[in-house]
Parts: sequence; C-alpha cells; structure tokens
Amino acid sequence: MKDYLARIWRAIRKPSTHYSLGFLTLGGFIAGVIFWGGFNTALEVTNTEEFCISCHEMENNVYEELKSTIHYTNRSGVRATCPDCHVPHKWTDKIARKMQASKEVYGKIFGSINTREKFLEKRLELAQHEWARLKANDSLECRNCHDFAYMDFTVQGKRAARFHSTFVASGERTCIDCHKGIAHNLPDMAGVEGWN
Amino acid sequence: MMLRILACAILLFSATVLSQNVATLRKQAALDQEVTTEPIANEITNDLKVSRNYPMQPPIIPHNIRDYQIDLNVNTCLACHSRRKVTNTQATMVSVTHYMDRDGNFLAAVSPRRYFCTQCHVSQTDAAPLVGNSFVDVKELMAVSKNENE
Amino acid sequence: MSLDRRQFMKASAVTAAASAAGMSLPGQATNLYTDSADTQLNWNKAPCRFCGTGCSINVATRDNMVVATHGDFKSPVNRGLNCVKGYFLSKIMYGEDRLTQPLLRMSNGQFDKNGEFTPVSWDTAFDVMADKFKQALKNKGPTSVGMFGSGQWTVMEGYAAVKLMKAGFRSNNIDPNARHCMASAVAGFMRTFGIDEPMGCYDDMEAADAFVLWGSNMAEMHPILWTRITDRRLSASHVKVAVLSTFEHRSFDLADIPIVFTPHTDLAILNFIANYIIQNDKVNQDFVSKHTRFVRGNTDIGYGLRDDDPLEQAAKNNADAGGFEDIDFAEFARFVSTYTVEYASELSGVPQERLIQLAELYADPNTKVMSLWTMGFNQHTRGVWCNNMVYNIHLLTGKIAEPGNSPFSLTGQPSACGTAREVGTFSHRLPADMVVANPKHRQIAEEIWKLPEGTIEAKPGFHAVMQNRMLKDGVLNAYWVQCNNNMQAAANMNQEGLPGYRNPKNFIVVSDAYPTVTAQAADLILPAAMWVEKEGAYGNAERRTQTWYQQVTPPGEAKSDCWQIMEFSKRFTMEEVWPDELLQKAPQYRGKTLYQVLFENGQVNQFGLDQINQSLPNDDAKHFGFYIQKGLFEEYATFGRGHGHDLAPYENYHSARGLRWPVVNGQETLWRYKVGSDPYAKSESGEGWDFYGKPDGRALIFALPYEPPAESPDETYDMWLVTGRVLEHWHSGSMTQRVPELYKAMPDALVYMHPDDAKNRGLRRGDEVSIQSRRGAMRTRVETRGRNRMPVGVVFVPWFDASRLINKVTLDATDPISKQTDFKKCAVKIEKV
Repeated sequence: MKDYLARIWRAIRKPSTHYSLGFLTLGGFIAGVIFWGGFNTALEVTNTEEFCISCHEMENNVYEELKSTIHYTNRSGVRATCPDCHVPHKWTDKIARKMQASKEVYGKIFGSINTREKFLEKRLELAQHEWARLKANDSLECRNCHDFAYMDFTVQGKRAARFHSTFVASGERTCIDCHKGIAHNLPDMAGVEGWN
Repeated sequence: MMLRILACAILLFSATVLSQNVATLRKQAALDQEVTTEPIANEITNDLKVSRNYPMQPPIIPHNIRDYQIDLNVNTCLACHSRRKVTNTQATMVSVTHYMDRDGNFLAAVSPRRYFCTQCHVSQTDAAPLVGNSFVDVKELMAVSKNENE
Repeated sequence: MSLDRRQFMKASAVTAAASAAGMSLPGQATNLYTDSADTQLNWNKAPCRFCGTGCSINVATRDNMVVATHGDFKSPVNRGLNCVKGYFLSKIMYGEDRLTQPLLRMSNGQFDKNGEFTPVSWDTAFDVMADKFKQALKNKGPTSVGMFGSGQWTVMEGYAAVKLMKAGFRSNNIDPNARHCMASAVAGFMRTFGIDEPMGCYDDMEAADAFVLWGSNMAEMHPILWTRITDRRLSASHVKVAVLSTFEHRSFDLADIPIVFTPHTDLAILNFIANYIIQNDKVNQDFVSKHTRFVRGNTDIGYGLRDDDPLEQAAKNNADAGGFEDIDFAEFARFVSTYTVEYASELSGVPQERLIQLAELYADPNTKVMSLWTMGFNQHTRGVWCNNMVYNIHLLTGKIAEPGNSPFSLTGQPSACGTAREVGTFSHRLPADMVVANPKHRQIAEEIWKLPEGTIEAKPGFHAVMQNRMLKDGVLNAYWVQCNNNMQAAANMNQEGLPGYRNPKNFIVVSDAYPTVTAQAADLILPAAMWVEKEGAYGNAERRTQTWYQQVTPPGEAKSDCWQIMEFSKRFTMEEVWPDELLQKAPQYRGKTLYQVLFENGQVNQFGLDQINQSLPNDDAKHFGFYIQKGLFEEYATFGRGHGHDLAPYENYHSARGLRWPVVNGQETLWRYKVGSDPYAKSESGEGWDFYGKPDGRALIFALPYEPPAESPDETYDMWLVTGRVLEHWHSGSMTQRVPELYKAMPDALVYMHPDDAKNRGLRRGDEVSIQSRRGAMRTRVETRGRNRMPVGVVFVPWFDASRLINKVTLDATDPISKQTDFKKCAVKIEKV
C-alpha cells in the first residue's frame, strides 16, 4: 500500500515524457473547465426549486404553505422560488451557504424533521436562522428583487408607503423586520422581538 | 315598422321573463339556466375608514388581509392594532371591549375570546350589491323627528 | 312620535328639499345631541335570527324601524358578543326587494301555472290556494297535500302548522328543512338514549380539557361558541383541540391535533378509538356494566335513493335500516378489534401517531372531553351511525352528562331544536318526542287537541327528500313551503326539486320575506313577516328556549307564518277535511271551521289581549282577538310538562335570557341523565346516571362497521365535492346576501381547490369552470387560496349563492335511518368554460 502511494507520488513529480507542454496546458485547462463547469452545474442543480422539494420535508411543509401566498401566485407572474430567498446570489456567499447546507443533509439522513410534528417543533428554530441571516445581510435576498431605489411609493398602499418611506429609507428597519411569515406560516412568536 | 314590431315583441317577451323570474339574486335567470359568472371580486384596500351603521357595529377592514395569520401561533392583526403598537403603526387600537372577559372584567391584555378577529371584522370586495338596502341611519331619523317637532 | 317608513321617506325628502333650497332649518345642534329625548332608543331583546347557537341580541328601534343591534351582555350564551352576521341583523329586514303583496302566477286574470307573477289580494290568494287544497283532498285524500316547514319557524308557528296538517288535514306530509340538517342527530339520540337533544350544555365549554370537532367548522358556523372554546384553549395551556374534516378550514387555526381524512372514513376512525380504549384497558367497567347495553345494528342498509336505483336493489337491509340485536361486551370488543390503528390510518390517510393522539384524549380518564359535530356527521349516508359511534366512545369511558364530559350535537338553525324537533314538525313525529306510529302517542295528542280518536294517521308521511320525489311523480299535489329555501337547499335540484315544483299536476305555495329561488319555482308567493316583525320563541342547541316581542310592524301586507296558517284554516269546514265517520265521533264539530276546532278550542284562545305587552305592537294577537302566541305555547307545553320536556310558564321567558328545559320548579336543567342535576334522573344510591329515555335506564352501545359511500370519484368524475356554508351567509343567503356589508365580504360561491388540482386541469384562480356530476352542472370560478386549504382531489363549494346553485350537482343519497341527505360527498369533474 505504502509502495503504491509512493509510486503515484513519483509519477506526479516526474516531468512528462509522453505529452507536450502545450497538450498538458490545454488539456489541463479543458479538464479544469469541465470540472469547474460540472461543479457549478451540480451546484446550480442544488439551487433549483425541483431539487429543494425533492425532499418531502420541503414539499409537504414549507412549499405547500408557499402556494397560497403572493410569492407563488400574483398579478405579474414573477414568482420567487426557494433559492431566490434562501440562497445568496453572490458566489462566495452561495458557497458558504452551501457548506452550511451539509448540516441539512445530515438532518435529512437522520430524519430530524421527517414528520409534520417534528417540523413544527423545529419551526421556530429554523425560522430564526433565516430571520437572523436576513437581518444580518439587510434583507439582501429580498432586495435582489425589491430594490428600494426603484420603489414607487405613489402606487403603494398608504400604509406601505408610509413605512417604506420612513423606516426603510432611514435604515432603521429592514424588510424582514416587518415581513416575517410572508411566504410560510409563522411559528409561535411568543418571545420573538417585536411580537409581544 | 317591422323593426318596431320586433322591438315590441322583444319588450313583451322580456317583460314575461321578468315577471316569471322573480328571484332578485339570480339576476332574472330562469332556474334551469346557468349564467355567465362575474370575475372574482377584488378586495378593497384603500385604507379609508368607513363609518359604521351604528356605534356597536364592528368596523370593516379597509385593507388587504391576504395570508394574515391568526392561529395558535400568532395573531398578525395584533402586530399593528394592539395597544402598544399603534404609536408606530398608526393603526386603530382594538376597542376596550376586547379587553373584557365573559363576565365583563377588564383583563391586562386582549381577551382570548376575541382572538379570532375575522369572526366579526371582514374586509370588503368591490362587488356591487345585487339588491339595495333601505336601512336608515338613526341620525337621519333624529333629524327628521327634530324637524317634525319644531 | 311614530313614523312609518313611507312617512319617513316623505319627511326626509322635505328636509332634503329645504336644505337644497338654501333654507335654514332652525336651531339644530351640530354634532352633539344634548336633548336626551332625541338620543333615546327603544331597546328590547330577541334571539339572533341565524344559527342554532342562540345568541341573545339587544335590538334598538325608533320610529318603527330597527336602527341598531348588538350582543346581549346579560345572555349567558354570548355575553355581549356577536359574529359578523349577528352584528348586521339590523339590516336583514330592509332589503329593497321585500315581498309586500301575495303574488300569483296568472294569465288573463286567471291562475295559470305558466303565467306571470301578478300581485293579488290575500283573499284571492287564499281563495285559489284553498281551492287547490280542497281539490287534492277530495280527489286523492290527505296524502296528496303537504307542507315543508322550517327550523326557523317560531315554536308557535311550527306548532300551528303541525296541528293544521296532522289534526286538520289529517296528513303526516309535513317535514321541516331540519331534515337536511339535524335528522341524523335526532335518530342518533333516539337510538342511543331514547330521548332527543343533548344531555350537556354550553357550560361544558368552560369545563372541558379537550375539544374534538367531528366534521364541524365552528370557527365559521358557530362563531360565538368558538369564542368560548378559544377562550378556554388559550386561557388554559393544558387544553387540547382536535379538528377533523375532509379539508382544512378556519377551525384548524386553533387545532393542536389537525386531522384531514378521506371522506367517509370517520366511521373507521370512530371504531378505532373504541378499539384503542378497549385494547388499552381504559373502559370504565363500572359505568359500562351499570348504565349501558351492547347491540349490533343492521348493516348493508342502502343509501336512501329511489327504490329502482341499483344501489338500493343491491342492499340487503334497507327495509329495516334501523334494526339491531343484543350482543355482549366481548362480542363488541371482537367487532371493533379489526379497526387497528394501521387499518384506520390506511383507510383514512391520517398518520397513525395523529390517530393515537386523538384516541388518547378519550382514553385518558383524567381528560374531560367535549365532542362537537354538525353537518360533517349529520349529512352523511351513515350519519346516524356516526352519532351512535361517538356516543359509544363517551359511554365506554363514562365521559358523559357531567361538566366537561359532553358529546354535543350542534344545530344549524335558530330553532331546529325548539321548533322542528321539540314541537315535532317531522313527518313521523308529534310534540315532545312522540311519534305518529305509536297508538298511545296519538291518543295523548288527540286528547290534548280535543280530537276524536283516530284523527291522527298512523303512517308517517313523506319526509323532505321523499316530498320532492312525490311532487315529481305527481303523488303530492298541493304543497305549502314556509320559512325556507328548499329549491336552493335540497340536493339534485335538476332531477327532483325543480321538475316536482313545475309539474302541472301540482300547486306550490311559498311563504317568504324575499323572492327566493324557491319562490321563483312556486305558483303562489305569500309575503311573510320576519324576526322582530312578530312575537315568537326559538329553542337553541342547549335546550334553551327564548322568546321575543314584536318590535316593528312588517312592510306592506306581509304577515307572519302563524297568521297565514290560522287564517288559511278559516277557509275549511270540518266536512271538507274530515270524513263522516270521524265527525260522527265528534258531532259538536259539524258545521264548524278548521280554525274553530284547532285554534278556538278554549285552550289556544284562552289568554286575552290584556296580557300582551301594551307598549309594543302585537299585530297577530290583535287580529285574532286573543294572545295567540301564549295560547299556542301553553297548549304545546302541556305535551312535555311532567314528561322530561317541561317548559316554564310563557311569561317567564320574556324576562329571562332563555331557560334550558326541563324546567322543573322554576329550575332549568344543565346536565340531563345525571342524578342530582336532572330532576328526572333517579337511582337508589342518589348518585350516578339514569338514562331514563330507555325502559331499562341503559344507553345503547352500537356495533356498526365502516361501509363505503354512495358515490366515490372514478376516472370520469374524478373529484370529491363537498358543499357547506360560510361565516358571512346563513339560510341560503336569503337574508345575508341582502346586507351590503355581508354581500361585499363574500359575494359569490367559488369552488375552492388545491393549486395543483387547478394546475393539472389547466386552470388558475378566477377561471370560469363548469362543475359537472351525473346529475347536473353548475358554473362558478376557481379559488386556489383564501380561507380553505383543500387536499388534492377534494373541492368545496358553498351553497349560499342563488345564482350559482351547487345543488344542481349534488346527489340526493340519504342516511336510510334518518332520511337526511349527504351533501358532503359526491363525484364531480371540473372543466374550463
């Protein structure tokens, strides 16, 4: 076994005797593209709604709840899919989020929310993670679509216009402060700041 | 001339239909007839308060309440309408009666019996009523009786 | 000052003209009236016009108009609260299309079945109507006349109607719309306990530790009782609420244990719970051995369809659907043992752990459980079984008839209990739980009514569904519908109801306050007074009888149903309605009118006008010259006094916020069958229970199986259709659709469906669709969100909408025992229009 590893190590260290430098450079580049492309494609596959709801935990709980909401069906048909709100769009953040997702894979394997009851028990904790993330990034995923700079207050409802033009404009509040539960049911909010 | 006869015939016919089909809410349709349906009416969301028919009437909701959650977990209406929230939200505070228990004692918070707001408070759509209602506001009666007395 | 509506309109026109002309009217306070005489309102109480909860309402009138209403703080039922319908009661009488004159279908000045509705006088109306009734009686006898009444009738109206039909016309063809609503509950009570109506009361709601809703959306249909349950659940953290339904509705918002099951499988869940209790040794042996008896009910009992239907031909026991035989506990245990959690879960689609959670509420001896149900149980082809089976669970555990332990059947209409059931306006019944088939019962009724022996027919008449079938077949020919909207409400309208009403052999009379769908199908429409336009009494779901005074006068020539029945009876001489053999037994009635025999009998007319409330109108009493409401009530009360149905003296009800019968020695009864709280319950030890409705004092525990529904989805008709009600509308929308605020809150009946079901059919929210069954079609629009969350494969359509009649689609299968229609299950397909 030891010999085998040593042999491989020598083969890697030794300059090539069969292939040209050009071939190796180009080949390496192509291989890199394929590898990289494959990785990204795989990553993007995990970044689709189909992938998310391939787990029944997602399909039967959060996705089912989404269906009646305005982020699923609305006037213009522009709808939010799971990753639109729950996965950062910037690559580095996305990779960081995907690494965190390994914990979710663990949860899936060990069935930590594989029944409705278990899911409901964990809902507050799960929701709090998302609220904290959105609070910390100033509701970045909301703002990917709802850009404050382009909001027309004159066509908003009076209440909405008032809050947006004051609290959001001043940076005192961010989207998630008021819009918790906009796409999924809220957990028991006792003890959640602002809900007492 | 022909046209006039035809018009008369149509009028006569529609008069017959009218007086056979008396169910006001069916818009003169015969009972075995299926009528084209109106599109789903939209919720009125103009945020304008509407005066009440009498003081004890629960006010209607003048805004959108789509997906407002009122359940074992949370009451999203109270997130704006509870006593301590109205400074920020400028929403109408729930009435003091909502703090009373069954026996009329005031509680420190909204009474659980009033928890489900939508049992009494409803939003309105822009559907036009099929029949008028001749309910008279008491204030108008008062004005009339005052005039009559003078 | 008293002002009628016309005077008011005139006076306000003067005011408007004066201000338009720039004239200043002298000395008006601007925005505050300081003169107390000006701001005074005349307040009186009345029960709510809508559901069986029986909230008490304070009604304000001024100048002969209702100007405000609110929940009565003094009422133990609602303590100052109303639901949105109740808060808008002020406006229900003022729809601009109120009927104010009789309308008869006429051509060339004569009655014509295909003529136009033409205003006629009451005299003409009754002339034509009496003529048709006399013709039918003469040609075919009493079985050719009939009446369809209501759980919205006042006690007195229902009582007068029963007398007119069963004693006067000697026809048992009188049935109330409560047949669609409560009949399974009634049969359930009679089979298990031998006496109708719940043993418990609303006070159970403050005492229970767990609530189980078996097919009842109380959040919308009984909102004020829901406030009491919400109050209890949110004030005491140990309290649990379980909600069972075939789809998720607003009551699920309070559910700790939400259960959506496959339609009809509630039967299996009920048996599973019984089995769970037995398997886990949670049977209350002491209670069971002393107070119960085990029986096995007949099975394969059919579906109450027409006799020639293949399903009826195939059924073995539809001739004796209600039959049963004695068994013992061991046999019962063996019977339910096949209903394991695995089997119940597989059949119902409910996760096993959820079923066990539910069963545990009943099994735990320390949890006081209240079971509640309405149409989910009652409108069920095995509705009586459902009722029996929920009692099984309460009886096995002894959780019954004490505070918080309460199987409780809720009612839909304001007087489904008080009038339809207690007065006995059913085709097989007489007052106070008596039945026409029992010779002793007939004898009691004939004695109270001062009738010769043999007046009342022994054979039960046509029940609601049968009446429509018999109209269609031309067997029932003169027919009077009062205080309900059955053309809209009854199932299979296209094939039964409408052809029945329009059958040229028949003459149909409809009394209503508004021109309803049923009125449109009639030949003669009679304008009715409603609610506080007359004096009356209602009885709610907890046996609470409540009365109210007339507070305003009805519009135009509208008259109360009581007035109509009594006036109509004046049109008949005894010789026209009774055969000579009967009159020979009572020669004193020769030459008299039906009115004289039924209502001027020395009992109904014994209270003078001096006893009516002198400060309020009582048009009916003044018209007949005696206090008719008191007279009818008191004569009716003699049936139940001393027989477990005691009512208090009439005048007591005008001050009390209702009293729960039996009222013995001035005391109402909260829990029946429990020695100590029910004066009729007796035992040697002075404690325990006494189910005195049964000869041996024992309630029955029924072994009954799961049997499939009459119609299930298949490849062509691939969805379940469930129909029902909504918060904003009641009584087919005939009153509530005329209140602008209620109309605008819920204008149309939409079809609620799962977004995926819509998507798979190429549909989206708002699309116009045709809902089709083997019987008919109805058009409406798709709703994929809103207050109901449908499971895939199930759609819900409410039936309040006069322009979208879902009962063209429904199936008129009934429970073979109770004859109540199953409006909750039939197969449909949905296509885009």
